[in-house]
Amino acid sequence: MFLAIREMKYAKLRYTLIGLIMVLVAWLVLFVTGLANGLASDNAAVIQKMDADYFVLQEEADNRLNRSELSAGQVDAIGGEPFGVRMMTIEHTGKVDVTVFSMNPESEIMPRIVEGKSGVVADQSLQMTIGDQFTDSITREVMTVTGLTEGQSFSHTPAIFVTEGPVSAVAVQSKSIHVDGVELLTKKEALQSIPGYKEEQGSLMMMIVFLFMIAAIVLAVFFYVMTIQKMHQFGVLKAIGTHSIYLARTIIYQVIIISIVSLLISVALVYGIAFVLPVDLPFYLTPSLTAGTSLLFLAVSVLGSLLSLYKVTKVDALDAMGGSF
Amino acid sequence: MGAKLILDHVNKSFGDTNTLNDISFEVKAGEFVAVVGPSGSGKSTFLSIAGALLTPSSGRVLVGGEDLSYLSEKERHRIRLEKIGFIFQTSNLIPYLTVRDQLLLIAELSGEQTAGEKKADELLEQLGLSHRTGHYPEKLSGGERQRVAIARAWMNDPDILLADEPTASLDLKRGRDVVEMIADGVKRRNKAAIMVTHDERMLDVCDRIVRIEDGKIR
Ligand SMILES: Nc1ncnc2c1ncn2[C@@H]1O[C@H](COP(=O)(O)OP(=O)(O)OP(=O)(O)O)[C@@H](O)[C@H]1O
Ligand SMILES: [Mg+2]
Repeated sequence: MFLAIREMKYAKLRYTLIGLIMVLVAWLVLFVTGLANGLASDNAAVIQKMDADYFVLQEEADNRLNRSELSAGQVDAIGGEPFGVRMMTIEHTGKVDVTVFSMNPESEIMPRIVEGKSGVVADQSLQMTIGDQFTDSITREVMTVTGLTEGQSFSHTPAIFVTEGPVSAVAVQSKSIHVDGVELLTKKEALQSIPGYKEEQGSLMMMIVFLFMIAAIVLAVFFYVMTIQKMHQFGVLKAIGTHSIYLARTIIYQVIIISIVSLLISVALVYGIAFVLPVDLPFYLTPSLTAGTSLLFLAVSVLGSLLSLYKVTKVDALDAMGGSF
Repeated sequence: MGAKLILDHVNKSFGDTNTLNDISFEVKAGEFVAVVGPSGSGKSTFLSIAGALLTPSSGRVLVGGEDLSYLSEKERHRIRLEKIGFIFQTSNLIPYLTVRDQLLLIAELSGEQTAGEKKADELLEQLGLSHRTGHYPEKLSGGERQRVAIARAWMNDPDILLADEPTASLDLKRGRDVVEMIADGVKRRNKAAIMVTHDERMLDVCDRIVRIEDGKIR
């Protein structure tokens, strides 16, 4: 720490600039991570949160929940918790697209009701209160909200949970199903087959991977150039008895200090930005996701300094002799 | 009191050229030896071997009674830290450390931070640097820099001080001051020093002069 801190204090500008780049990259990483997570949730929260490991769909449904239709006979033969999915446009204050899930309100797969009781349970994101009425824009059926859920959405639309409806799929806990005309999907497969899910997550994930690589490479180049410049100095340090490991530790300390300070600033920035973002932007960053991303960022940064560490171990103490070249 | 440094039939060759040829040499406690010789004669190589920076091709080197022949790289680091003080021609100092921190680094490396502070202040006082303790090397004159290097070299109470042309970048007056400070330190502590120099005008400060030509002591 002795050398690490003093060098950073001496060359403030240099380390501040590299820190600034790291702040921006870390901020982008966290922001895109939050966006990916928010979009995933927006598109698939109901399925993500559902207490089930497997889903049984109609074989011809092409893995799509909202295309699947199971007969009463199939449902009985499968066992488990049946539920229905259908898209609907409702009229409340204006026209809104929603996804209506029908399921037994006593079943395991029914989400937690945060207010009110079962019947017609709307997600809070619809901005309705208990007792509000809305109309199915096709059948003109009028429904009254009896309860509210939190964070339940599907296919980028808010979810509404009702008790009756045709069965689209069955949630089961075991994969041993022997029924004709059905297909068994894992939860992951079910998520991947939601329209747009794979594409959104894939492209955002690619951005995140690239950002991690940029962070690693920027740090690698910075410390490598610094190390090259300091070869003679490292030679002197080794000649007067500094061990390579001590010098390597100095570089690692500097990388860790830069990364942690940059991460703290960018976490603060990201949470600050999250406050001023429009509410309908699907941005969702949990503390554990932030912590995990930050740790990964730290690890990647340290990885980026390996090249310099290698260089440092190769410095010959003899370089100190014979003046400067 | 025995010899601080012993070279016993030391040879050093790079490839098939013999840079040092059967060198046997001793420095006693309290002795300040000057090494002179033409360019390329092997003076720096000689100093590097005495300072555990290079291993001899054959022969033995003993520093403060400890045989360097069979030491690992790690142990040679320890020897350099504890038993040897170095003063190089230029760029001795670490640019981002203040004068006082240059000395405290040695204490930090040997894990004696608390004793180090007192020691550092004493040495800086002795070498007339008390008013410069908080300065960075870039703000010092050439002579002051070499004095800081001398102070740093004494930090760990080494058995022997090795200096490779410490006055090369200084004028006569400042050069002599620096050499006299080395001599003073050697007498005061009853340690030893070897200085490679090109400057004949410094030689009267030293106790003994050793001439190296073509890798042999004359
Ligand atoms: N690492 C090395 N590899 C190969 N040859 C070397 C190496 N170090 C020194 N030599 C050779 O050994 C000889 C002696 O070099 P050395 O640096 O000891 O001379 P010197 O007496 O210090 O000269 P100067 O007065 O110019 O500093 C030179 O011919 C040099 O080329
Ligand atoms: Mg030389």
